[in-house]
Formats: sequence, structure tokens, C-alpha cells
Amino acid sequence: MERATRRITSNAPILNCSEGIIVSLVSFVQIETSSMKKGIENSLNLIDYRFQKSIKKVVIKPNMCYYWDYSTGQTTDPKFVATIIDILREKISPDVNISIVESDASAMKCKYSFKMLSYEEMAKHQNVMLVNLSEDKGKRAKISAGGQRFRLTIPKTIQNADLLINVPKIKYLAETKISCALKNIFGCNPYPNKFKYHQKLTEAIVALNKVMKFDLCILDGIIVSGSQPRKLCLVMASRDPVALDAAAAKLAGVNPKSVQHIMLASKEGLGNISFIPKGIDPSFFEKRYPRKGSKDKIMSCAYKILTRAGLLNAEMM
Amino acid sequence: MDKIKVGLIGLGYIGKVHLRNCLNLKSAKLVAASDTSKKALNLAKKMGVKKTYDDYQQLLNDDTIDAVIIALPTHLHACCAKEAAEAGKHIFLEKPLARNVAEGKDIISAIRRNRIKLMVGYPFRFSSCFQALKEKMESGELGEVQIVYATNIASGPFLYRAESDIPRPVPDWWFKKELTGGGALMDVGSHMINLVRWYLGEISNVKSHLGYRFNLDLEDHAICILNFQSGQIAIINVGWFSQQTEIKVELLGTVAHASATIRPPNKVKTALQLMTRRTPTFYIPYLRELSHFIQCLKQDLPPSPSAEDALKDLEAIALTYQNCQQPQYSP
Repeated sequence: MERATRRITSNAPILNCSEGIIVSLVSFVQIETSSMKKGIENSLNLIDYRFQKSIKKVVIKPNMCYYWDYSTGQTTDPKFVATIIDILREKISPDVNISIVESDASAMKCKYSFKMLSYEEMAKHQNVMLVNLSEDKGKRAKISAGGQRFRLTIPKTIQNADLLINVPKIKYLAETKISCALKNIFGCNPYPNKFKYHQKLTEAIVALNKVMKFDLCILDGIIVSGSQPRKLCLVMASRDPVALDAAAAKLAGVNPKSVQHIMLASKEGLGNISFIPKGIDPSFFEKRYPRKGSKDKIMSCAYKILTRAGLLNAEMM
Repeated sequence: MDKIKVGLIGLGYIGKVHLRNCLNLKSAKLVAASDTSKKALNLAKKMGVKKTYDDYQQLLNDDTIDAVIIALPTHLHACCAKEAAEAGKHIFLEKPLARNVAEGKDIISAIRRNRIKLMVGYPFRFSSCFQALKEKMESGELGEVQIVYATNIASGPFLYRAESDIPRPVPDWWFKKELTGGGALMDVGSHMINLVRWYLGEISNVKSHLGYRFNLDLEDHAICILNFQSGQIAIINVGWFSQQTEIKVELLGTVAHASATIRPPNKVKTALQLMTRRTPTFYIPYLRELSHFIQCLKQDLPPSPSAEDALKDLEAIALTYQNCQQPQYSP
């Protein structure tokens, strides 16, 4: 693939621990919002991540969810992305070309979300490009995951990047239990009517991660979205999206082995469910995570049953 | 008189609410619906509407129809209402009356010229808790009401689907001021201004502050201080910025205070009510307003809120924009 030749691979993503099991590093850092930069740098140091000076083009994929801003915990904070940009300029070069990418979705249009979620303002201030992948040129690729075949488009901006950074959020999601790094790449699919993939969402998430392999994940857990939003002031980083998702799932009280797309991604070689936590003990954040209560679980379950039984006519809502 | 034969123009979010409600009315029959979306028309057919049109002009040409419900985007209100009036159809028109005062006046001229009845959809006037507040105020048990606080903070057009956690697509017209006539103040502020005018009478002066959290040229929140000719004051606090719905009115009187709150709909309960084709609790005021409109047609009574009444809301909103205390957002 064209992109593979352009990519500048970073230092080794995984460790071989003494028992011979391959595991990935995931850092857990608590930050002060006034010193976001220090916190992000610390999280990268803990996983021994070093930016290559030869990198010319960087793509950052935040998580934009509908038109809800960062305060809801559902969308990456543009200030967090701005801080990553500052770090990239400092560590790589002041002239490094940076694009922030997102694509139109069934219910969200980038032309509005970029503006409403303050990305437009931030991009102008930071002198970076905002790219709506749905309007980008792309190359078609055939890919299969979990026995399902997909024809997907890889946007040119992603193909041409030297470094791809995934900046997800942790969220509960009815369809997948948890949404984090792997699910965030679902938003790189330029096809706007993403709802059509929801029938085989697990496979689609993994297929997209196979064709668009991101190099680094930096999780914005400053405000997390659980049963309600909560300021957790957490930054997590890993080169391995599967390990990061497994760690995030555990944090939110979800068994990673019960999350189909994490399991399939691991099976398809995208990463490891096992991870070594670095930095603050994850239990510190686990205790503070706003987990779903039994009432929330019953409500979600009732919905699933009604929807699966076809008793709800979505058009009438 | 037989059942009033109704045509529904527009099957968007609120159009679907009227579709369900109209089918549940005993004294009216929903005979036709129009929309540009095939999917929406198929749904109407499935629900039992016999005639469907992709052009509302065809619906207006249908001589069997006595009245129309217009549930179109705001920029189409004036044009469609005038055409409906010329076609001799009585009109139930979704709020706001129009994008601006001039369009509102055009509508009023058309309905007067054609001697047809027009009611504007302001469901809070049909909400039992807000009706109870008015009764309390009028009974004298609060003493003299000096200050009214009216709050309507919710997510505006940025809605989740009722049946799941999946957000609802927002039609493009919602983002264009030239099509909506305004933001949260026009959308939800018109509800609250109409309601407090129902309580306190006519407005003499307005001060306002508009907010632009979402960086659009439409305000997403507004705080207005309305002075009434009676000397009473209302503070209107409206917004589109919150995932939680808060619709509340407080009356502060010289003897006592009273308040009423409309609770956000419970998703599971709403889903079950929809499954059994009952009107969800949250939408009962919408059913009552439609029922009032039909009764007015049957008994040849003037419906309320009228077009003239809704025009006063538009005039108050125009004054609010004019008297805004800070420069409006310019992207």
C-alpha cells in the first residue's frame, strides 16, 4: 500500500514480558487542566514514545460526536488537540503539516461540527487544516474482518500522512458496550451514511482499523462520559489501540473480553488485550469513573429488546 | 357537522407528532399528507393516510379538505399559509407565525381577505400545569403577580432519537438565520413569550442578552427582561445548549409563589406509548391544541392563539433582537 511506504514507523510498540506473553504499554496520567502539556508529555514518556524528526505530515483524529461539545464528555476537547499540536511543533518541527480529520455521519455534518465544537476557531489559531474526509479524494480498498468483506475508501489525507494520531474519548455505547480508540476510527470512513454499517458494526470497526492503522493513541479523559460526565483529568496513551480500548473498558467497568470489536481486533492482529499500566494505578481512576447504575442497565436492556423485536418504529420518533 | 377533513403539510419531526395526534382525533379525519420525502409519505400511508402528495399545492387543490396543518420549516410558513388561505382552507400553523413581522402581517391579510380561521401551535397554553398556574394567578391566591420567570432550556434542534441514544440529523435550514428568522429566541423563546403574554398581557419594553456558545450566527441562548404595560416583569431564559430539558414557569406574587415544570419524556414510557399508538405524555398538549382547533372550526369560534396573537410574539422578538445589549455574533 502506498501509505505503508511513506510511513515512518516508530519505536517498538510492544514488550515481551518475562512469561513470554506479548503485552502493550498503556499510560495513566492525572493532569491539571492548567498544565495539559506536561500531562500529555508525561503520558507519552511513560510509553517511551518519541516523535521522529523526519515526519512531515501528521493527521489527528479527534472524536466528534454530533454537535455536543467537550463539556458533555462525548467529544474531544479542542484545547486538548491544540496542546498535542504544540507538542508536535516542538518535538518534530514548527513547520510540520498537521491536519485534523473527521467525516460526515448520518446525523452530523463536519461543516457544522467543526464550527460548533470550536475546532474552526482552534484550527485558525493553530494554523492547522480541518479536513472533512467525506470531501477528500480517496482510494478504494477491499478488506475483510471477521468473515465480512468490505469495500472501503481510504481518504488521501490519511494515505499521505507520516504519522496518524487517534485522540478518542471513553464512552458507553449501546451497540458496542464501549467506544474508544478502535471505534473512533469508524469516523474516518468517508461514507456519510454510516448507519448502514451498524448491522455489522464490529466487523466494520475492525476493517477500518485494518486499512487505516493509527500509530499513536492519546486519550482525552479530562471529562469522561459515563452515566453522567465527570472530570477525571485523565490522559492515557498507547501505541496499541486494542490495549488502550481494553484498559478503557476495564476503567468503565466493562470486561474487555465481552466487547466484540476489541476481541475481533485482537484476533485480527491489531493489538493486544493484555497491557502493562504505567503511571498512576488504574484503580485510582476506576473508583472515580461514573459507571452505569443498575437503572441505566435495565433501561438499555429494555431498549435493546424493543428494538431487536422490531417493536419500535424508528420513523415515528 | 361531519368530521373535519384535514390535510397535513410537512412530515418532519413536529409533522409526525401532528400525524399521530390527528389520527387520534374523533372529530377530525386526516385525509391527506404532503412532504418531499418519499419515506415520510410511505410512513403516513402505513399509518392510514389515504392520499399522499409530494407537492403541497396538490393537497391544497383537493376540494374535500377543510383545513390544513402546516408543519414546514419557518421560511415556508408565509408562502404556504397564504396559498392555503387563497385555497379557502382553515389553517393550523406551527409556531413561529413567520420569520418576521412583515411576513406575519402578510399572512394576517391573506386570512382576513379569505375569511378563514388560523390558529398558531403554542402547545404550552394547553399544558395542564401551565393552565393551573394561570388559574391560580387569576383566582387571586398568589396576590398580585409581580415577576414571572420562564425557562426553556433544552437541546433545540440537536435531538437524540427517542428510541435510542443515536442523535437525530438536523436539517440544514436550522443553521441558516435567513431561513429561521432567529435562533433559540425565535424557536423556544416564542413559546415562552407567548405563554407569559397569556399570563400578563401586553409588553411595553424589552432588554436582552443573546449568547453564541456554538459559534453560529444564530443565538443558542437568550435572556430577556420583558416589561409589561401592567407594570409586571417577566424574565425569559431560553437555550438550545443543554442535553437536559428544563421547561419551567414561576410566578412570584405579593402573597404567594407558584411554579410548574414540564418533565422531559421518559424514553421507555414514550416508546411503549408509541407502540400502542397512544399519544406520549409529553405530546398531550399538542393533541389538545389540535382538538381545540377542530372544535373551533366545528362551532365556528375564533381559535386561540390566533395569528394576531402570534404576531405580537414576533413583534416582541423583533424588539428583543433590536434591544440586544451586546453586538450580535459575526463569524
